[in-house]
Amino acid sequence: MNRSPDYHACPECDLLLKPALPNVGEKAHCPRCGLLLLRPHKQSIERTFALSIAGFILFFPANLLPMVGISMMGNANTGILFSGVLALFNDGMEAVAVVVFLASILFPLLHISLSLLISGHLYFNRANRYLVHWMRWMHHLDEWVMLEVYMLSIIVACVKLMSIAQLKFGWGLYAFVALIIINTLLTSGLDEELFWERITQLRNRKNNAS
Amino acid sequence: MRAKSNALSQGFIRCHDCGYLVKTAERLSSCPRCDSHLHARHPHSLQRSTALLLSSFLLYIPANIFPIMIVNQFGAGEPNTIAGGIVELIDSGMIPIGMLVLVASILVPSSKLIGISLLLLCAHFRWQVNARRWTTMYRIIAFVGRWSMLDIFMISILVDLVNFSGVQIIAGPAATAFAAVVILTMFAAEHFDPRLLWDNQQNL
Repeated sequence: MNRSPDYHACPECDLLLKPALPNVGEKAHCPRCGLLLLRPHKQSIERTFALSIAGFILFFPANLLPMVGISMMGNANTGILFSGVLALFNDGMEAVAVVVFLASILFPLLHISLSLLISGHLYFNRANRYLVHWMRWMHHLDEWVMLEVYMLSIIVACVKLMSIAQLKFGWGLYAFVALIIINTLLTSGLDEELFWERITQLRNRKNNAS
Repeated sequence: MRAKSNALSQGFIRCHDCGYLVKTAERLSSCPRCDSHLHARHPHSLQRSTALLLSSFLLYIPANIFPIMIVNQFGAGEPNTIAGGIVELIDSGMIPIGMLVLVASILVPSSKLIGISLLLLCAHFRWQVNARRWTTMYRIIAFVGRWSMLDIFMISILVDLVNFSGVQIIAGPAATAFAAVVILTMFAAEHFDPRLLWDNQQNL
């Protein structure tokens, strides 16, 4: 049951395939529908672990330091991610506020924490019966982490405001940009197939030992 | 009629969450590798996707008619619809940014609604099509969906920053409808199973 599988199937066209074993730097595409199946990365576990630590640390300045400051007619105001959520909430837009909170704060934090937990366990060869659940949650969360979309909205909002007010960029924004870069490297470098194989190995070893 | 080269017709089920292949003959209800429920195809894929799509079609109307934000200047409120905001951006000479917002908040949602409808029709009526091309269309729809949240995030930033005694920006009722459209279409795309397109092809 737990041997490595003899066959693979393409997730989007269900073509039965012999497992491709591309080397680092090579890509495996489905011959029928063209989907990118595998793209192994060098030291995926080590890199994911390192990037998760960096991302987790950066998450706090990116969320707590002021991102954009605005001054207009003698009044000044600064904004962070959470103050935008609060402003929507106070306007009576509770549903939208919740969506913004989830997509720009809670899901990114969960995603980074999960990848830190998983890669940490794999890096130190520690088995944990929750690893499987964490992997599945991370897999489903991926699409709902919308940091880069938020970045684009900051740019558009700033362009809109530029003509009527003075804007000042704070350290929070620089931390946010760094967080996006790290998050992108993290998701593109994560080799899910390798992670699943290692989790199965760890589980089998633990079962054999006990 | 299922294409012979498909894993399912050769007796394999692929786990949705981890990609592990399980023999249908083993009659397992959950994946031996990740414990998630096994389904050969997304359960009720077409029904669920259609329901989500119809709701987003309905919500798409208020999202475009009602103001998405209201600019209050010294007591006088100026409502802005999605289209109005773009026209304003282009009028004031910010053409690239206007184009960006046009793509993200008008072209992407409307072509997504049409695209998912076509995919559903194609899978339901078993049209004989170039499945590779249709799968590519599905892939594009699934990828671009999240970028429509641009407008919603932008409103949250503007509402937060522009909050002075003289000038205020308030979110309008269309914001809720638009956010719902984006999220419902994302779910609709997630529930649609592109393998149904391939199952229906008889000449593979």
